[in-house]
Amino acid sequence: MRPKKRVFQRKRVCRFCTDPETVLDYKEVKVLRNFVTERGKIIPRRIFGTCASHQRQVCEAIKRARHIALLPYSGNTPR
Amino acid sequence: MRRYETIYILRPTLSEDEVTEVIEKTNAILCTGEGQIIAIDKWGLRKLAYLIKKESNGYYVFCDHGTDPANVTEMERIFRIDDAVMKYMTVKVADTINTEGIEAARGEYEAAKVAAAAAEEEAQEEEAPKQAEKPAPKKEAPKQDEEQTDAKTEATSDENTSD
Repeated sequence: MRPKKRVFQRKRVCRFCTDPETVLDYKEVKVLRNFVTERGKIIPRRIFGTCASHQRQVCEAIKRARHIALLPYSGNTPR
Repeated sequence: MRRYETIYILRPTLSEDEVTEVIEKTNAILCTGEGQIIAIDKWGLRKLAYLIKKESNGYYVFCDHGTDPANVTEMERIFRIDDAVMKYMTVKVADTINTEGIEAARGEYEAAKVAAAAAEEEAQEEEAPKQAEKPAPKKEAPKQDEEQTDAKTEATSDENTSD
C-alpha cells in the first residue's frame, strides 16, 4: 500500500491585499529583495501566495530593477 | 505632456563637474517646449548588480519630469551617443500632466524631503543615548577552578587504586 499523499491546505492571503499601504516600486530594492531567491529568481505565486494582480506588479518591478542594475538577472543576491 | 521617471547611470570615473554638465544637458533637452523638471535626485555612486561596460560601480541619477514624448526620444538618442551614460531607463508614470499637476508633484517631493529629515533626526536622537549606555565587556568566568578540581579528582582516584 502506498501511503496517502498528504495535502497541506494552508490558507494563504496576499500580503499586499491585507496591507494596502505597501507600494510596489522598482526603486525599493530592499522590498524587492524579499521576492527573489538567492539566485535572483522571482519567487512564484504558488509559494508566496500573492494574488494575480499583485504578483504581476511584483514581476514588473523586479524586471525594471534588473534593467537598471539594482537587482541581478542571475547570481547572488545578498539579503 | 506626460509624466516620466528617468534613471540614468553615469560612469564612475567622471568628476563632479562632468556629472553636473551631463545632468544640465539632459535637463535642457527635457525642458524644451512645455517640458518641466519635477525633481532631480543624485543617488551617487552605487554598486551595480552586474557589470555594465566593464564597470562594477555607477553614478545613479534619478529624474522625475513632465515632458512631451518627442523630448524623451531626443534625450535617449543623446544618451546612446554619449559615452558618459552607461545605461538609462525611462518609465511613464502618467499619461497626462498639466502645470498644476507638476506643481502638486513638486510639493509632494518637498513634503517627502521634510518628512525624511524629521525621521532622520528622530533616529539620531534615539541612537544617541544607546551609544552612551554601551554595556561593559563581559568578564569571562575563570576556568582555572574547573581544571584544578579535575586534577584533584584524578589524584584521589590514583590513591584509591594504589591502596
